Amino acid sequence: MQSSGPIDWTPMIVGFAAGFLSRLLALRTGRTHYPGFPSGYVSQLALAVIAAMIGSSITVALAGKEFTAATFLTLAATQFRDVRNTERKTLEAEESLILVGRGASYIEGIAVTYEARNFLSMLVALATTAVTQFVNLGVGIAAGIVFVLVGERFMSGPRIGDVCDVKPAPIRFEKGSLLYAGDVMMMEVGLKGSRERYLQHGLAVELIPKNLRGQAALWNVAQRQAIAHEAAAAVGVQKDVGYPEQTPLCRMEMPNATGKAGLTIIPVDKDIDRLIRAIKNTPVLESGKWSKLPMTNPIPAHPEPDASPAKEM
Amino acid sequence: MAVAPTPVMFAIVTTKPNAVHGGMAPVFVVESEEERDRVAMWISRITNATVHDLHNGTLILTVNQVSPPGGG
Repeated sequence: MQSSGPIDWTPMIVGFAAGFLSRLLALRTGRTHYPGFPSGYVSQLALAVIAAMIGSSITVALAGKEFTAATFLTLAATQFRDVRNTERKTLEAEESLILVGRGASYIEGIAVTYEARNFLSMLVALATTAVTQFVNLGVGIAAGIVFVLVGERFMSGPRIGDVCDVKPAPIRFEKGSLLYAGDVMMMEVGLKGSRERYLQHGLAVELIPKNLRGQAALWNVAQRQAIAHEAAAAVGVQKDVGYPEQTPLCRMEMPNATGKAGLTIIPVDKDIDRLIRAIKNTPVLESGKWSKLPMTNPIPAHPEPDASPAKEM
Repeated sequence: MAVAPTPVMFAIVTTKPNAVHGGMAPVFVVESEEERDRVAMWISRITNATVHDLHNGTLILTVNQVSPPGGG
């Protein structure tokens, strides 16, 4: 193709479609409850269009010996670094408004994922356009499908359900006031009214790691905050300012340190299946992925059961 | 470093005035267990402090020094 000749739109269109599709699929299989509103989708889609367009036009520009255009396109691509900051700022602002926070690690993970997805969409568009340009349309379309699928597989990280079993557990109180989710001691609930509320409305699950990797994830306190957030987002939580004991908690089985974790929540919608599904769908955070070291202070934040002198009840 | 709760003593509500001595937290001495639970609940709702039962007639209220949103 000559720089003065007519532009061949086909590779660009195929590449654009592949890149856009890659971003669309990522939106559908969103790892989180974000974005949740049309306005969020619109901005993501707009970015997707731009990313796919940059990726698909760069090969065409290079092949047409339009080096100025190609340079400008790479400049445009660097603008996508701001996506990460924007996402982080939005979520951090939201953090102070919600009662069950996502936690800084989770926010960073979401922000990085959003940034990476735009770049992925660009790469898919670029590779597809290149194949279409230098081989032919049929191979280009086939390669586009392969790239989209590979990208999709590459980008979907492990979830809690992959590394842990999540089972319903009974809620009970020991020694009068210690809240247990199955075998896992959660916290000390000093008020009688709150204890009754837990017994009446509460839900509890146990998270049992399938392997060391699952255990490493659970030991990460940020991971457990993310799980608590996803649980609360799925079934709702009966909590208001001034009711700290009704905060959904996800704690390890301490002091036995078996690697098991428990979660208690007072939901709005008492649906254990939905709760378990949400927990299984929580992404494994990057910060907790490979570390085998406990990320939390091994000293329990609450009095140990044996420290209580009362033997009755 | 992830945010881990660091509870500090906020208030003490007891039916046994001899069992607790003063320190950083105010001590509320009450007559009965019902009154103790009521006072503790009141303070908790007002200040967002968490109530813990020591099972010796004393309730302590703690607040998290570095607290994630919602006091988790």
